[in-house]
Amino acid sequence: MLLNWRQLIAALALACTAGIAPAALAGDAGAIDTATIEKNRKANESCFTCHSAAGVKQPPRADLDLAKLRDSRVEPGVFNGADHGVMDCRQCHTAPYDEYPHPATGKDETAPCSECHAGKVLRLEPQFEKSVHAKSEGLKEKFSCSTCHNAHINVVALRLKDPAKIVAQDNHGCLECHNSDETFARFAPESEKLPGVKKTRPDIDTIHEWLPNARAHWKAVRCVECHTPAVAANKMLSHEILDKEKAEKKCLSCHSADSSLKTRLYRHMVKDEQQRLGFTNSVILSNSYVIGATRHPLIDKAVIGLVLLTLAGVLGHGAVRILAAIRRKGKKE
Amino acid sequence: MSRIYLLPLWIRVWHWTNALLIIALAVTGVSLHFADPELPLVEFSLAARIHDLAGIALLATYGFFVVANIATGNWWQYVPKPPGVLERCLVQSRWYMYGIFKGEPHPYRVSEEANFNALQALSYWFIMYMVLPVMLATGVMFLIPDLAPDRVFGFDGLLPVAILHYLTGAVIVAFMIAHVYLGTTGQTATSMFKTMITGWHEE
Repeated sequence: MLLNWRQLIAALALACTAGIAPAALAGDAGAIDTATIEKNRKANESCFTCHSAAGVKQPPRADLDLAKLRDSRVEPGVFNGADHGVMDCRQCHTAPYDEYPHPATGKDETAPCSECHAGKVLRLEPQFEKSVHAKSEGLKEKFSCSTCHNAHINVVALRLKDPAKIVAQDNHGCLECHNSDETFARFAPESEKLPGVKKTRPDIDTIHEWLPNARAHWKAVRCVECHTPAVAANKMLSHEILDKEKAEKKCLSCHSADSSLKTRLYRHMVKDEQQRLGFTNSVILSNSYVIGATRHPLIDKAVIGLVLLTLAGVLGHGAVRILAAIRRKGKKE
Repeated sequence: MSRIYLLPLWIRVWHWTNALLIIALAVTGVSLHFADPELPLVEFSLAARIHDLAGIALLATYGFFVVANIATGNWWQYVPKPPGVLERCLVQSRWYMYGIFKGEPHPYRVSEEANFNALQALSYWFIMYMVLPVMLATGVMFLIPDLAPDRVFGFDGLLPVAILHYLTGAVIVAFMIAHVYLGTTGQTATSMFKTMITGWHEE
């Protein structure tokens, strides 16, 4: 993931000329015209004749390695809807893939993400360096952007819009390893307690036992809401993935009127916040009822008023009873 | 002084269990709903666990209450018997608002056949058979959110469930305050509490 000096200069030049515009650095889909998209998709069809479920089911050639093909299949429908679906496969999978059989070195020659996303990589690299994924010996080298972000599937949150879809997509990236012993073992560093033995995957239900309704949380929010440090309102989430010791454990950071969800999962929608029907954080309420965060000040006032009036009523009644009893006693005497 | 054995053991055990659970649910419920880093009452995740457990226990005690009421015929106590229900309610209200200050005796005597005056019967019936079931049902939906509708009027389907749960909870808290206070309106300020512990009503 480290940038070489050429990429660094390219990134700095891009950042200067574009005024650090994230859309420009990210290779904004809007910059590609319709004719080019059509041309790219047409070109991709030849890749999908093999690299798709249909290709695996009915291989167009007899000499294909089906095991490898299964691992490298892409769903054309899903890919075309993904952020990178406007591109020609060969923009990342460079020249050697034009021929078949593809050369063995083909995979190594796949263009790194920084080729297009140099500015973003430059900003995120220091965050990743501090991440739990870069801390253990030998682990960092096994990680690339695509370990977590599947370029054949992923859609940027701003385009996905629906928080439930954002959650499902992003958590899938984490759970692919953290909910699979097989995949976890491929990345697992050496155990700190048992030298020479690979760390085994901790059961995610067990390590989240402290969290009430953990499974409900995983459907409603992303792992990174708690496993990344706090960020300012207009900044993208940090790529510093926090381990269980550093991860957020204060429920109130989300479950309060000033919910941090506004700067995290809902940051793309916060501008739509209109206090709908008078609810606080109504933008969150459109997707999830979050106790403590999605309240209605008028209902709260009515409820507090009811309880206070009852209290005042019984205290007043009791006081008058006591005074009346004293008066009766005085009269008797 | 006359004594009547008014409240069998099962009613007293149920009543005090119910009281403790509702206090625990009210305190943790306030901590959860009014969650604020500046005003911590019970720590949020602890409050959530206590609220879940106490809620399940309250559901169980409510089930016991309904079955025991049917089995023993105690449910009949909660039915204000005609004729003259309205008149008896007005007489009782007048006593609470006026007669009690004048030191007048209770307008209706407690008997084995009628533990409650008409106002008590009506209010207990309303709380136990109208409000509490709604609070419990919405609590179960909170516990198992898949039971709640997916979406309502463009909001998460849990919103109406949460509002009903909150409002019924508030009514029960207000009822509890009034209920504890009205417990002091017996022959002496503590006689009704003694009855609720021993089962014996003394006059």
